Amino acid sequence: MSMSKEDNNSFHSQLSSHLFSDLLDSLIIDVASECHRVARLGLDRNLEEEEEELRLSAQARVMVADSSSNCETNSKYTTDIFGQTHPAVASEIFECMNCGRSIVAGRFAPHLEKCMGKGRKARMKLTRSSTATQQRQSRGSPNSSYTPYMNSSSNVHYSNSRVSNGTSGMMMDEYQKSSTEPTEGTSEESR
Amino acid sequence: MRASVNRPPTPDADEDDDDGDAHTQHHHHHQQLTLQEIINIKLIESGEKEKLKELLRERLIDCGWRDEMKALCRAFTMKKGRNNVTVDELIHVITPKGRSSVPDAIKAELLQRIRSFLMTAAL
Repeated sequence: MSMSKEDNNSFHSQLSSHLFSDLLDSLIIDVASECHRVARLGLDRNLEEEEEELRLSAQARVMVADSSSNCETNSKYTTDIFGQTHPAVASEIFECMNCGRSIVAGRFAPHLEKCMGKGRKARMKLTRSSTATQQRQSRGSPNSSYTPYMNSSSNVHYSNSRVSNGTSGMMMDEYQKSSTEPTEGTSEESR
Repeated sequence: MRASVNRPPTPDADEDDDDGDAHTQHHHHHQQLTLQEIINIKLIESGEKEKLKELLRERLIDCGWRDEMKALCRAFTMKKGRNNVTVDELIHVITPKGRSSVPDAIKAELLQRIRSFLMTAAL
């Protein structure tokens, strides 16, 4: 009948732990059982939505894999995760902050290029500023007939003569394409 | 108490002794209840087991353990497809994490209550 105190305690501990594990396992079964029920009965709305998303993303992945062979066609007609399609050329209209014109988004960048950088009129604004003038003078342009205050027609004329002085044929072509808006390189950078 | 554990076999068991069929085994087993089993019976009969389970369930809900287990089940269900899961699978999915993620304080509280039950009611 006599169990030593240590034996008693350790037996108690073992038994307690065992009983606790029983309780815990029983609760685990309860949770699993309930989740099983919810799953089979389709009671979890979130679960259904996530399944739908999984399906759609798998679908999208397939379409992306396909489109690696024919990019343009597919990107025109795939729907994104919100069900929207995006046309190849963006169609929203913005106002150019430089000239104030309404430009279609898809044409915005090319417009800015011309409007802010390459444009004959834009370059006229540039040449009028003093810093631009100083830069040009310090480069020691050999063509002394060039002055910052030429009118537009003279400017064109100047560019014409520079071109004929021996720029490459390719540049000639380029220039002829945009005769009223010569590229910067033609007149300023060729030295 | 020891006397009741070691009570002499009932007359019925003696008669069946010569049969050698499963019936015999069953009667013998009655006499060999472990102390553990007896305590378990006492736990259940006194209603303490149910109280302990309720206490543990409440604590595990409050600390977010239950939500964690449900999240594991949901993740598994999504991978398998909701009509392809069985209860057994879910049990296997959550048991390791379930057993190891019980906060120490909660475990200690339950063990304490179990032990005090053992002291007062069982031994």
